[in-house]
Amino acid sequence: MEDQDKHVDSVIKRRHRQEGPQKHVIAFIFSIVLTLIAFAAVAAGGVNIAFTVVILLVMAVLQVLVQLGYWMHLKDKGHMIPIIFMAGGFFVAGTAIITALYWMWWS
Amino acid sequence: MAHAHSVKRHKGLMDWLTTVDHKKIAILYLWAGGFFFGIGGIEALLIRVQLAKPMNDFVSAQQFNELITMHGTTMIFLGVMPVIFALMNAVIPLQIGARDVAFPFLNSLGFWTFLFGGLLLNLSWIMGGAPDAGWTSYTPLSSTTYSLTHGIDFYTIGLQIAGLGTLIGGINFLATIITMRAPGMSFMRMPMFTWTSFITSAMILFAFPAITVGLVLLTFDRILGANFFDVSKGGNPVLWQHIFWIFGHPEVYILILPAFGVISEVISTFSRKRLFGYSSMVFATILIAFLGFMVWAHHMFTTGLGPVANALFSISTMLIAVPTGIKIFNWLFTMWGGQIRFTVPNLFAAGFIPTFVMGGVTGVMLASAPADYQYHDTYFVVAHFHYVIVGGLVLGLFAGLHYWWPKMFGRMLSERLGKWEFWTFIIGFHLTFFVQHFLGLIGMQRRVFTYLPNQGFDLMNLVSTIGAFLMGVGVIIFLVNVVITARQPVGVANDPWEDGRTLEWSIPSPPPEYNFKQIPLVRGLDAFWKEKTAGHKEMTPAEPVGPIHMPSATILPFLMSLGIFIAGLGFMFTSDDFGNNFLNFIFNNYIVTGIGLAITFGSMLWRSLFDDHGWHIEQDELNEKGVKA
Repeated sequence: MEDQDKHVDSVIKRRHRQEGPQKHVIAFIFSIVLTLIAFAAVAAGGVNIAFTVVILLVMAVLQVLVQLGYWMHLKDKGHMIPIIFMAGGFFVAGTAIITALYWMWWS
Repeated sequence: MAHAHSVKRHKGLMDWLTTVDHKKIAILYLWAGGFFFGIGGIEALLIRVQLAKPMNDFVSAQQFNELITMHGTTMIFLGVMPVIFALMNAVIPLQIGARDVAFPFLNSLGFWTFLFGGLLLNLSWIMGGAPDAGWTSYTPLSSTTYSLTHGIDFYTIGLQIAGLGTLIGGINFLATIITMRAPGMSFMRMPMFTWTSFITSAMILFAFPAITVGLVLLTFDRILGANFFDVSKGGNPVLWQHIFWIFGHPEVYILILPAFGVISEVISTFSRKRLFGYSSMVFATILIAFLGFMVWAHHMFTTGLGPVANALFSISTMLIAVPTGIKIFNWLFTMWGGQIRFTVPNLFAAGFIPTFVMGGVTGVMLASAPADYQYHDTYFVVAHFHYVIVGGLVLGLFAGLHYWWPKMFGRMLSERLGKWEFWTFIIGFHLTFFVQHFLGLIGMQRRVFTYLPNQGFDLMNLVSTIGAFLMGVGVIIFLVNVVITARQPVGVANDPWEDGRTLEWSIPSPPPEYNFKQIPLVRGLDAFWKEKTAGHKEMTPAEPVGPIHMPSATILPFLMSLGIFIAGLGFMFTSDDFGNNFLNFIFNNYIVTGIGLAITFGSMLWRSLFDDHGWHIEQDELNEKGVKA
């Protein structure tokens, strides 16, 4: 049993070595830059609040994608089930929140 | 490589408190669920006694409100949910050829949080008044303005704790079914009960966060003076209705889907036929789950969402009849041409089909928004949801319990008593609820504690009450059956129904604590049946015999849940005056809450700091050891 564990460990290590850290470094830099843009947009702010909000939302969506794809490994192979469940969760929660809010306050 | 661990074996009560074995946790769920089911049943009988004749004063209006609230809440959250989890725990690891669930520790934690949540909720009866705003607990009725006792606090905090257990259980089964299927068991070779439990677990994962949020908001409104639902301070009571039903509607599908799975297994086994339209069954299940999240506002047609919303939710609700119809016809086609044996499980399954169809038909009637303005909050609705929950789910659970009882306990329930149970229960059921359709149609309101004579209500209410007592007799016959059976020696065959199709029937009853000596190789749908037809007596193993890694028993889940229980109880009474300095001091300064949380987080810290690698059953110990029931 432990032999098997060791084997699995070594396979994982080998795979990580093959991929190398470059992608993670790029993803990390990307995350930081996205955060900085968001902060900068607010700091510069003033001119048009709606415009700032749009920038923040776009940065937030990109940030979520980077986090899920690189750090949660959703871009890797063998992650179909997590992707299905995350998509299902977003869909259900999104529908519920948007519809409920729409009929409570805007319609 | 095996290494010898000396493992400490607990005996008696300590064994049950510390077990992480899915088969024993199933039995715990069954007893706890049965206990709450009994309480809910007694509440139901008291309700029916009060309504047996006009202007009755058996209970007061306030007591009646408490009874209906606790009957609904107890039955849904503490009665049928745990019995579903009992079946899921007892059967799913065996059906997929696994030695336990993915997270045995969490499995135990899920059970204990559910139990302590349920106990907390029921403590309300002896601690100043039960919740009284209906199981839906609509605001503002459930706000501190209209509900002065701590009843609703017991509701919010008790359900919060019990819900935690359900969520843990759901996630555990998702992980188990995704990762622990035996070699060869692809998704489309999973038994139908495993499929429906899988989808149910996914629905738990998506639906329970909604009620968690709702209960937190209501708790904050009531205990900490927030205003989420208070119109006078800018809140919105309709928000509670949305949140409750965004959870509540998926919840009823969470309940019924496992019953669909049980019925599929039972009908296929006792027709000696493969389930008709297996793949359409799978897709119908997924479709029901998907649509189940799109229909919640059909509970709110009369709230005033407007014609567009009502039309949309009407259509989406009616759509659910399509996949459900697919299932009904598949069961009928499975029976058609089969060698049908009407054993007790199959009787319940055969009784389920027409009863559930009747509940479904009234469901489509209620889905029509204009008609719903007439039905809303009448006994027609009460009849509808009891037809789907009792006539659907509870009949399904009885079918499942009779079917898997020999696998869980190693003893067959008496068929003769079982038939008495079936007939008294189903006749009692139809007597109770069939007339309620007409009571609703001629205008009897739901949740009224009494009614005036000579409105045409008198006779039908009396019939309904008589039926309720007949159902009670059916349940008592079941309990007698259980007691008589428990006195018999263990020792039924691996496959006591002789026509078992799935993996659980290929191993001893009850199974040894490691379930499978060797994990089986699955060659098709109905894996065990396939081997039988090929002339084999047992499954082909997928691995050599070797030492088996087992999880260690632990008391920590019990302690964690006890801690949450104490914290919840403490939190409820933070602003009360007990007329006693000491009690005021420890409750009003969050000391009781703090002690509870310290127990919980202390147990978590213990769990994190001290690794537990489990233990091994060595090769030479692998005889046929069973769990004791």
